[in-house]
Amino acid sequence: MKILVCITHVPDTTSKIAFMNSDTELNKAGLTFVIGPYDDYALARAVEIKEAQGGTVTALNVGLAETEPTLRKALAIGADDAIRIDADPTDAYFVATQIADIARKNGYDAIFMGRESSDYNGGQVHGMVGEMLGMPSFSPVMKVEIEGTKVTLAREIEGGKEYIEASFPLVLGCQEPIAEWKIPNMRGIMSARTKPLQVIAPVSQENLTSGGHYELPPARSGCKFIDASEAEKLIDLLKNEAKVL
Amino acid sequence: MPKQYFSLRNLKFTMHELHKAQEVTEYPYFAHLDREAIDMILESAIQIADNILAPCAIEMDREHMAHFHDGKVTVHPSVKKYIKAIGDAGLIASRAPLSANGSQLPETLNVAMAFVMGAANNAITSFAGLTEGSANLILSFGNQHLKDTYLPKMYAGDWQGTMCLTEPQAGSSLHYITSSASPTSEEGKYKIKGQKIYITAGDHDQTDNIVHLYLAKIDGAPAGTKGISLFVVPQKRIENGQLVPNDVKTIGIFHKMGQKGAPAVHIEAGTNDECFGWLVGEPHKGLTYMFQMMNEARIGVGTTGACIASAAYYAALEYAHERPQGQSLNIKGQDPNAPQTHIINHPDVKRMLLFQKSIVEGSLSLVMQGAKYADKIHSTEGEEKEKYQLLLDFLTPIIKTFPTEMGQQSVSSSLQVFGGGGFCEDFPLEKLYRDIRITTIYEGTTGIQSLALLGRNITMKNGKAAMALFQEISQDIKDATTHEDLKKYATALAGKLGEIQKVTQHLVGFAMKGDTERFLADATLYMEAFGILVVAWQWLKQGTAAKLALLTQNPQGDDLQFYESKIHTMRYYFAYEVPKTQGLMTRLLDDEVLTIQVENGILV
Ligand SMILES: Cc1cc2nc3c(=O)[nH]c(=O)nc-3n(C[C@H](O)[C@H](O)[C@H](O)COP(=O)(O)OP(=O)(O)OC[C@H]3O[C@@H](n4cnc5c(N)ncnc54)[C@H](O)[C@@H]3O)c2cc1C
Ligand SMILES: Cc1cc2nc3c(=O)[nH]c(=O)nc-3n(C[C@H](O)[C@H](O)[C@H](O)COP(=O)(O)OP(=O)(O)OC[C@H]3O[C@@H](n4cnc5c(N)ncnc54)[C@H](O)[C@@H]3O)c2cc1C
Repeated sequence: MKILVCITHVPDTTSKIAFMNSDTELNKAGLTFVIGPYDDYALARAVEIKEAQGGTVTALNVGLAETEPTLRKALAIGADDAIRIDADPTDAYFVATQIADIARKNGYDAIFMGRESSDYNGGQVHGMVGEMLGMPSFSPVMKVEIEGTKVTLAREIEGGKEYIEASFPLVLGCQEPIAEWKIPNMRGIMSARTKPLQVIAPVSQENLTSGGHYELPPARSGCKFIDASEAEKLIDLLKNEAKVL
Repeated sequence: MPKQYFSLRNLKFTMHELHKAQEVTEYPYFAHLDREAIDMILESAIQIADNILAPCAIEMDREHMAHFHDGKVTVHPSVKKYIKAIGDAGLIASRAPLSANGSQLPETLNVAMAFVMGAANNAITSFAGLTEGSANLILSFGNQHLKDTYLPKMYAGDWQGTMCLTEPQAGSSLHYITSSASPTSEEGKYKIKGQKIYITAGDHDQTDNIVHLYLAKIDGAPAGTKGISLFVVPQKRIENGQLVPNDVKTIGIFHKMGQKGAPAVHIEAGTNDECFGWLVGEPHKGLTYMFQMMNEARIGVGTTGACIASAAYYAALEYAHERPQGQSLNIKGQDPNAPQTHIINHPDVKRMLLFQKSIVEGSLSLVMQGAKYADKIHSTEGEEKEKYQLLLDFLTPIIKTFPTEMGQQSVSSSLQVFGGGGFCEDFPLEKLYRDIRITTIYEGTTGIQSLALLGRNITMKNGKAAMALFQEISQDIKDATTHEDLKKYATALAGKLGEIQKVTQHLVGFAMKGDTERFLADATLYMEAFGILVVAWQWLKQGTAAKLALLTQNPQGDDLQFYESKIHTMRYYFAYEVPKTQGLMTRLLDDEVLTIQVENGILV
């Protein structure tokens, strides 16, 4: 089994986000970057499948050189090799084109990725990659079991779960509890330094979208204490200030 | 629950910008690592802390504390998850060499990981910490058979390790232990008999076996510390490939005020005369072996003090930003309808928070300084190596004491910020306050550490260790002096060092006259003053590093604020904490003797 896992390089979810250049650009100074949390689950499940059934796991990231530590973390967790497409990933269609191109060249049985990245939360890439490759694409996948050529998936849907049977090749957008996230161990960290990490130039594809500017949510305002005898004042504030009633 | 229990920004500053932790990767012993690997390993510890440790910290203290029932001890099920996770990550063997399948990590990284995990849950970390310490004793001094039998299981987290020193009549003074070991027909195998108390993780249900590293006296051994030997006494021994009971009985657990998730167990070995132990190393050298692990353990307890204070500080800081109470003293009474201000705006609350921050970050810096010396010992040779060994030995009692004694005050101050809430279970402060209390007691009480500092370390090698430390500090004072606005603090520290040297000479004078009791009577106060100054040194270093970053890196936004906050906190420490040494030194130079040869009846 040959699995491609696409990982994003995103700010740690506890990071304090700030923008610069008239709010058109993320200020990366002082931010810690990690493997996107959903991608982390996808990677963990892919590594489990490889360990149980044999095969290889390739980790792929579309990103600039700064993302290599994140790719090496994927290697430490258990990917066998890594590919970095050397481009700034600012548009979903562009990213999907790059992934599809690599997949066409290398031929994978399955392409795993997170249901969405945790920075822009687009959730579009798996669908686009499926379409480009003519493969079925499922998201958000909470469970994947493989028996021979049969793949059983559980997908989260409104108010419940949907169980699906599918076959290879396919594209999966994963989320918890598909696997327990993996902590890289010392052996993995040491071996990651010698596993292959290939850097490939992007295929040409225009960005179909371009960034505007960013806005942070309004700061949390301080709490107001209202005397128990002034219930009306509370209702008024909830209606007219907080606008929740 | 508070959102934050430590600052990664500050941890990385302390490790890398201040103490240049990654430098050691240039030496052969740590050449298997680079900065990226160090970051990745630290990240693993943070993942374990966030996902396994923090979520069960309160539960382990309250509804699921260690429990003794029907002769068995049960603990929170997360203990197994934690021990396995850190075993799988290769972190129980973090200090063991690569040649023994260890990870051979630098101490600076070990301290950073212990800080993060302890800040998340300080009761749970003792399980793996004890396994590591006891496995490393077997690795250093045990024979091949012991290594093969125990190390793989212990480093993987399948078996728990413990340290069995204390007995009812022998706590601080271990030479009074009475546990006995009688030779059997098999070489190295002894029959063990005795009782041990307060044994952390001495029994529980989350590993398949418990391996006690047990101090006992071989029949006919010399009296005192020179007759103590070290044994491996497993709870279950291996016979024909099976684990069978080894006659180690759990009599009960102690009902502690804190760290309630970790059991402190009373055990009895050899009730039915069927308990066997295997000698580690040579007979009568047990205490010497134990002491080789003591530096690590004491740095470990210092780290625990610092990280509990860190968890309390970040909780208090968050609360102070959110709790409106009262008005600014300047506008008070002017407008009865004015809204209340957040308590962080009151100078007294800000003072409390600055105190906590100065203790937390000062303590972490001190602990990391010790760890850096430990790493230097591994990566240098000859005279240089000897210098770092002296520096580490000298500082160890202070590293054990300052973060724990001052950490207690710091946590108390964090609790105070919560007002009545701090006293109640709605917030984790009352727990942290109880947890940190043990840190000045185990691994040698503050009293015992203070005797070691003044009675042994000051005069160690004819004062060579103390000289080495003063030289290090002088160099940092010189560096600070190159910045005009740090001169004031550098000069203040230099002055204080002169004063403590005078105090030292005064006290050593009594030792020279043979009056040891007078020499050491106020050793704990000497420790207090010395500790404040050693941490002033750490703050001056931090101020210098921050100043350098401000001058050379053009930091912006949060980064700028971080460095400015460093310098501000250094100023706080010099203005509010350093002057406290004045009173202590006045007392230490005073001729009035009130604790020696005074009738006990004076205390009624
Ligand atoms: C929660 C907990 C966990 C522990 N875990 C372990 C463990 O895993 N393994 C283990 O072996 N032990 C363990 N201990 C025991 C611990 O190391 C001892 O409690 C500690 O060494 C102090 O000994 P003690 O309690 O007998 O106090 P004592 O030695 O009786 O001390 C009482 C007081 O007298 C002072 N004092 C004692 N002797 C002197 C002296 N010569 N000069 C001046 N002052 C003196 C002390 O400073 C202290 O203030 C643990 C204890 C606790 C509470
Ligand atoms: C066990 C217990 C029993 C109690 N019993 C009673 C009782 O019987 N009856 C009763 O009425 N109350 C009772 N209380 C309430 C108690 O009096 C309050 O908790 C106490 O007055 C502190 O108020 P607070 O908890 O709101 O803290 P806060 O007032 O919010 O204080 C939080 C922190 O901010 C500081 N702070 C607040 N305002 C200022 C200011 N203006 N300037 C500088 N610093 C400031 C405080 O010093 C404190 O450190 C009890 C509380 C407890 C915990």
